[in-house]
Amino acid sequence: MTLSRRALGGVLIGGAIAGTGAYVALKDNPLLRGLTGNATELKGFVGGEKQPYLANPRVADLLRKQGITLHSTIAGSVEMVRQKSLIDQQPDFLWPSSSVMTEMAKMNGLPVVRDQTILNTPIVIYSWSNIVDGLVANGLVTRTPDGHYEIDTRALIAAIAARTPWKDLGVPSLYGAIRISSTDPNRSNSGFMFAGLVLSALTGSVPDAGDLNAHFNTVKTVFDEMGFKSPSSGKLFDQYIAGGPGSEPMIVGYENQLVEWAQADPKRWERIQSGRGTKPVLIYPRPTVYSAHPLLALGTQATPLIDALLSPELQAIAWTDHGFRGPLGEQTATTLPGLAELLIPEVSATLPLPGAPVMLDLIQRLDS
Amino acid sequence: MRKFIAACLCLLTLGACSDTAPKDTFTIVAGSENRDLEPIVQEFCAAQKRECAVTYLGSLDIGLSLSDAEQKYDAVWPAASIWINIFDQDRKVRHLASIAQNPVVLGVREPLARELGWVGRDVSMADIVNAIRDGKLGYVMTSATQSNSGASAYLAMLSAAVTHGDTIRRQDLDDPATTETVRTLLKGIQRSAGSSGWLADLYVASAQRGAGYDGMWNYEVTIRDANNQLRDKGEDLLYAIYPREGVAVADSPLGFVDRTGQSDTEDFFLKLQSHLTSADIQKRIADTGRRLPFGSASNATPQAEPEWNFNPEKLISTIRMPEPDVIRQALDLYQSALRRPSVTAMCLDYSGSMSGEGVQQLREAMTFLLTPEQTKRQLVQWSPQDRIVIIPFDSRPREEFQSTGVEEEQEAMLSAVKNLSAAGGTNLYACATLALKYIDDINSNEEYLPAVVIMSDGKSGGHVDEFLRAWEDSTKPPVFGITFADADERQLDALAEATGGRVFDGRRDLIDAFRSMRGYN
Repeated sequence: MTLSRRALGGVLIGGAIAGTGAYVALKDNPLLRGLTGNATELKGFVGGEKQPYLANPRVADLLRKQGITLHSTIAGSVEMVRQKSLIDQQPDFLWPSSSVMTEMAKMNGLPVVRDQTILNTPIVIYSWSNIVDGLVANGLVTRTPDGHYEIDTRALIAAIAARTPWKDLGVPSLYGAIRISSTDPNRSNSGFMFAGLVLSALTGSVPDAGDLNAHFNTVKTVFDEMGFKSPSSGKLFDQYIAGGPGSEPMIVGYENQLVEWAQADPKRWERIQSGRGTKPVLIYPRPTVYSAHPLLALGTQATPLIDALLSPELQAIAWTDHGFRGPLGEQTATTLPGLAELLIPEVSATLPLPGAPVMLDLIQRLDS
Repeated sequence: MRKFIAACLCLLTLGACSDTAPKDTFTIVAGSENRDLEPIVQEFCAAQKRECAVTYLGSLDIGLSLSDAEQKYDAVWPAASIWINIFDQDRKVRHLASIAQNPVVLGVREPLARELGWVGRDVSMADIVNAIRDGKLGYVMTSATQSNSGASAYLAMLSAAVTHGDTIRRQDLDDPATTETVRTLLKGIQRSAGSSGWLADLYVASAQRGAGYDGMWNYEVTIRDANNQLRDKGEDLLYAIYPREGVAVADSPLGFVDRTGQSDTEDFFLKLQSHLTSADIQKRIADTGRRLPFGSASNATPQAEPEWNFNPEKLISTIRMPEPDVIRQALDLYQSALRRPSVTAMCLDYSGSMSGEGVQQLREAMTFLLTPEQTKRQLVQWSPQDRIVIIPFDSRPREEFQSTGVEEEQEAMLSAVKNLSAAGGTNLYACATLALKYIDDINSNEEYLPAVVIMSDGKSGGHVDEFLRAWEDSTKPPVFGITFADADERQLDALAEATGGRVFDGRRDLIDAFRSMRGYN
C-alpha cells in the first residue's frame, strides 16, 4: 500500500518537474522526504530488546519526519550477523546489541558501509529484595552510600563455581546452591555478553586464546549450572518478573529492561515500590560490560538512519521511556522519578569484551 | 496488491463489507487445567464479536502440534513453557505471557500426613522416599510423558535425587543412585492417568467410595478444587506438601502462532492477552485459587487456607529446569525404564461386523501400538518390563497372545495379530472376565500398574453382572473402553464407571484412542 502510494507520488511529482534534475535533489532532502510522503523504506534486523523502542509511536513519528520508514524484524544479534537465511534476505541495516557483532559482520563479509554506536546499556543482574538483603548481610553484594547495589563479578563467579549453598550466603529460604540464569549465549546477546564478561573478569584484561583455555572450565561450570537457557533476553526478563524470587532468584539482563518494565505500567511500579512484599532489585556487577547497540548500514541508503537515531529528541526518548543510555554511556535526559535512585549515573567499572575470534571460540565450546 | 483491490471494493460497498464479512474463528489449544477459565475467554470473544474455539489437549500434544507443517491453532496455552521450549524448534510461538502460576505439589490425606509427622514442618523428597519404602504412602499421579502435572512431579523427583544437588544434567540420567531414588518414588504410584483433571475426579470419587488413595500429585489449584469437594462430602482433605528441594511451577503461558499472516488475528490475540493480564481479570483468576505472576497488574492473592497448608504468600522454592534436550531424554527414560511397569490386557473385537475396514483400522492401530519407532515419537513406548496380553474375541474369547515390551517380542506379537480375521458374534464380557484372570496371574504381588482394555464395535451379548462379580474377586484393575463404529457406549461406560476406568472414542481416530489409553497405566 505504502509502496503504491510512493510510486504514485513519484509519477506525479516526477512528471511535474521532469528534466530539471530538481526532483532528485528534493527527494533526498530529509525534511522534504518526510513531507512528500516520499519516505525511504528500510528493512533490517534488530535485537528484540530494541523492538519496544522502535514500536514507540513517538519514535516512528520522529523517524517519519526525517523521511524514514522502518520495517524491522526481530532477530538474535548473533544470528543476524551469522545466519545465512537472514543474510540472504539482503537487509539494509542490522542493529545488533554488541560491538563485537560489527567485527563479526565484517569477518563474515557483510558490506558494512558505516557503523556507529547509537545506544548503550550495561549488563546487570536482577534479583529480589528479600534475597539481596541476605546477600548484603553476608557481604557478597554491597550497597553503595548512594543506595545502589553492586556485586564483585569474580566473587560471584567463585560462589557459583564452588556451588556455594544459598544458606551459606545469607539466604536460608532458598534451597540448593546459588544460581543465576542468562540467555543462551549462542542465540542471544545478553548471554553472549555475560559469557564474555565471565571470561574477561577471570582474566582481568582482554582475554586471548590462552586465557580461554585457562578459564574455560570455570565459564562452562557457570553456564552448566543454569540449566535451561532462554533464547531471548526479553523472554528471560518476563520469566523473572512472572516467576518471582522462588523461580528466578537471579538473572542476567540489561539495565534498560527494568526501566522499560516500570514505564510500561507506572501504577504497578508504584504499588510494588510501596508494598511490603519483595521487589525487583538491580545489581551492577563490578566490573561489567557495556552492551553497545551499533547500527550497521549495509548500503548508503541506510546511513541517514544513523544520524536520525543520534538526534537529541530520539536519544532522550530512548533514555526516558526505554532506559537506553547514549553512545558514550551517558544519561541523555533527566532520570525518571521512582527509578532514579536505582540507576547509577555513570558505569565506571567496565571491561572490554574479548575479541570476536575468542568470543566465537568461547560460544562454540559452550555449545558442545 | 490483491489485498489492496479488496480494500477498494470494500470502500465502494462499505456496508456490505463490514456487516457480512465472516470473521474467522480464532482457535486456541489449551491444557485441560485452563478449562474453568474458558468462560473469561468466551466473554471477551463475545464482546469483540469474534468466534473463539478452545480445544483441550495434553501438554505433549500441544508441543507436538507445533512441529506440524500446517498449524491448526492461532494461540497455544499449555500448562507450562517447557513444552514450548522442547518442541517449538522454529520459534513459531510469539508474545508469550504467563497468565497464572501453578505449582505442582503432593497432596497427602490429612490424617496420614499427621501420622507421618509432616504437618507444620518442611518435608524433603527423602522423607517421601522413606514413607514409600516403609509402605506407608502411595499416590496417584498423571503420566509424566503425557501430562504436565506428571512431568512436573517427575522432574521435581529427579531434581531432588541428583546426587550433586544441582541442575539435572545428561549424565545424571545414567547415575544408578539417582535413577534408583526416582524409581522408588515412582513405585508409589497407585494409579496413573493422561489428564490432571480426570485424575482429581478419580481421587474424589474413590475417596467417596471408601476405596481412596493416600495422596495425589497435582496442581495446587486442582488440589484446592478437590478439597472443596472432599470437604462437602465429609471426606479427609489433602494436605499440601511442597518438597523442600523445590517443586516445578506451571506458568500457564499464552502465546501466539502466526499461521495466517493476517495482522488482525495478531491484533485480536494481543487484545485477548492484555484482557487476561488486566487487573480485573487477574483478580478473577486469583479468585479461582491460582497464584498470579509476580508482575501481575493485580496484587490480588488467593485466600490462604491453613487447614490444608495452602499459603500463597509463602515463598516456594522451585526446581531449576534442565535444558530441553535433557528433559526430553528424562521423559524417554521415564517411559522406557523408570516408571512402574504396566500389565495391559486388551480385548479386541474380531466379530463379523469388523470385517473389511474395521479389521484394517484395528490392524493399523496395533501396528502403531507395537512399533517402537512410532510409540517412541509419542512417548508411549512399552518398557521391557511391561506385560502385554491381547485377546481377540467374538462371541467368545479366542486364543490369546502374550508378550513383554521387549522390542522383538512386540514385533512377533504384531505379525500374529495382523493375521487375525473377523467372524462371529460379540461378547465382550466373556473376554473381559478372561482378561481379569490374566492380570491376576501376572500381577499377584501388585508389581504392575494394571489395565483391562476393551475395544468393541457393536452391542454385546452376555451379562455385565457376571463380569462384575468376577471383578469384585479380582485384583480390581480399572477397565478402559475404546468405542468403534456402532459400539454401544453405555455398555463400556458402565464397565469403566464401576471399575474406575475411562472410555475413549475410537470412531474418529482409533490409533489416537489407543495412544490416549496408554497414558493411563
